[in-house]
Amino acid sequence: MKLQGLSTDQAPPLSVPIRFFLTAPIFGILAGFLIFFTDASSLMNRYSVESIVITHLLTIGFLGFIMLGSLTQMLPVLAGAKIPKPQVVSMTSYIFLIIGCISMMFGLVNDNEIFTTIAFIGLGSGFFLILTSIAIGIKTVQHLNSTVKGMAISISFAFSIVFMGLYLLYGYISKDITSLHFLIANIHSVWAIFGFAGILIISVSFQVLPMFYVAPKFKPFCKNRVVYIISVGLVLWLFLNLFFEEYAFIAKIWLSLFFLAFATTVWIKFNKRRRPVSDVTVWYWRSASIFLALGVFLWITDEYFKHEYIVMVATLIGGGFILSIMIGMLYKIVPFLVWFHLNAMGYMSIPTMVEMIDKKLSKIQFLLFLASLVGFIFSFYYAEFLKPSALFFTLSMIILEYNIIQPILLYIKTKKTKPDFDMSMFQ
Amino acid sequence: MSTIKEYLTTDHRKCDELFAVMEHKASESLSDAKEMVQNFVNETERHFQLEERVVFAEFEQKTGMTQGPTQMMRHEHTQVRALMKDLLDAIDENNNDKFFGTSETLMILMQQHNMKEEQMLYPMVQQHLSEESEKIVDMMDSLVVE
Repeated sequence: MKLQGLSTDQAPPLSVPIRFFLTAPIFGILAGFLIFFTDASSLMNRYSVESIVITHLLTIGFLGFIMLGSLTQMLPVLAGAKIPKPQVVSMTSYIFLIIGCISMMFGLVNDNEIFTTIAFIGLGSGFFLILTSIAIGIKTVQHLNSTVKGMAISISFAFSIVFMGLYLLYGYISKDITSLHFLIANIHSVWAIFGFAGILIISVSFQVLPMFYVAPKFKPFCKNRVVYIISVGLVLWLFLNLFFEEYAFIAKIWLSLFFLAFATTVWIKFNKRRRPVSDVTVWYWRSASIFLALGVFLWITDEYFKHEYIVMVATLIGGGFILSIMIGMLYKIVPFLVWFHLNAMGYMSIPTMVEMIDKKLSKIQFLLFLASLVGFIFSFYYAEFLKPSALFFTLSMIILEYNIIQPILLYIKTKKTKPDFDMSMFQ
Repeated sequence: MSTIKEYLTTDHRKCDELFAVMEHKASESLSDAKEMVQNFVNETERHFQLEERVVFAEFEQKTGMTQGPTQMMRHEHTQVRALMKDLLDAIDENNNDKFFGTSETLMILMQQHNMKEEQMLYPMVQQHLSEESEKIVDMMDSLVVE
């Protein structure tokens, strides 16, 4: 039997996940600026170039970076997965993805084929490199639990959405936008939200809620069945959408019911958690479950409004649910990683996790973020809400960056001093 | 008769329960929580000694692996012990921020430590020590904490 996963050596160097985490809010800031300088009518159309660019700065640059960074950290530590050459993979894919993301922005906004082609190569190479490495890592896991199985399914969806995304990007390079383009774009977005992000969040919550908040464990049905049921729902939705579009709402109801159930479960689990401590991450989880419930409800009712509210659905689920969870995760994972790595190096007299990030600032960040989301939703009716909301969002991202940089600065500063204990015997 | 894996896993849950009770009491009144904190510390220390003095020792003897996973687990026990000392200090100093800052770190460290043991080390131990399982459980039952 191999002994993978039991040593701190198994945890990737701090730089592997951290570079993704520290870059994510910068994409958030960039997206905030773009929203500020874009008029509301362009943002109301999900297929406008501005909407596509802003959405991808947030989904790839912010959400994707945090999810990929977390996977490279969690899989080795919690499941003993052996990701091949994590430092090289992380650095290379990071560079490719940044180049890809920025080039996509310039390419689409300026209708420039050269930038769009660079984006195609950058995003394609970056995603395939890191997703393949994660998939190889998952294959080395000996004791597959429900979280790792869910991560594996989520990665399969990630491969599919990258393929679809590249096809869509190629449409802009070849200037060949057909009706198939819009059909694929719809599948790409639904599978990205529910298949990649949704399944990943659900699977990770099986571990994270009991671990961080001493919330009751999920029932075996949830842990062993729900991810598969959602996956079948997504495949069914695809099939119906392609061949029997008028019945696609059946699969939508299927998916919505399970995500609604997840939102309710999260809320109940937080009510029943054994830890009395309430911090900003609890607020993020709670607000995420409210936004998810509202989002899936609107996704269903939107059928009767001829998809008039689809951008609002995206704001509620993408921003209110997925972004909230990711920010909440950053507030937990960054201080813990800093503490964990410093402690493993023999630094014992360091601040605790809670002391590493200013509580007041993290609360202000949360409130600004929440205000921006509510503002974005109201701006569907009152366009004048858009600019202040964009400003709130940008500010919240700047504060987020400041907050998560603090533990890293502490790490750098502490590493320059002598450790309390010589830990070389454990290396 | 439970297996080594079941015995130690149940013990983890017991420590988790004591941790939750301790934090709950501390959230009401830090000074009144001293007894609960001490209960949690004692029980966790007993669990560590069950592992270090009985299970790890037997495993190391049987497999000859003294520098492998058990060494890393011992190292993490040292980290947890240091944090438990900080918890007791925080109670003595009546320092709320220090207490909850330490308990937060301790919670996550303990949970990921338990997960590694339950998902990787215990199955490994059970596999290597299946014949001696009953004897080892008896030894754990009769252990006197030092």
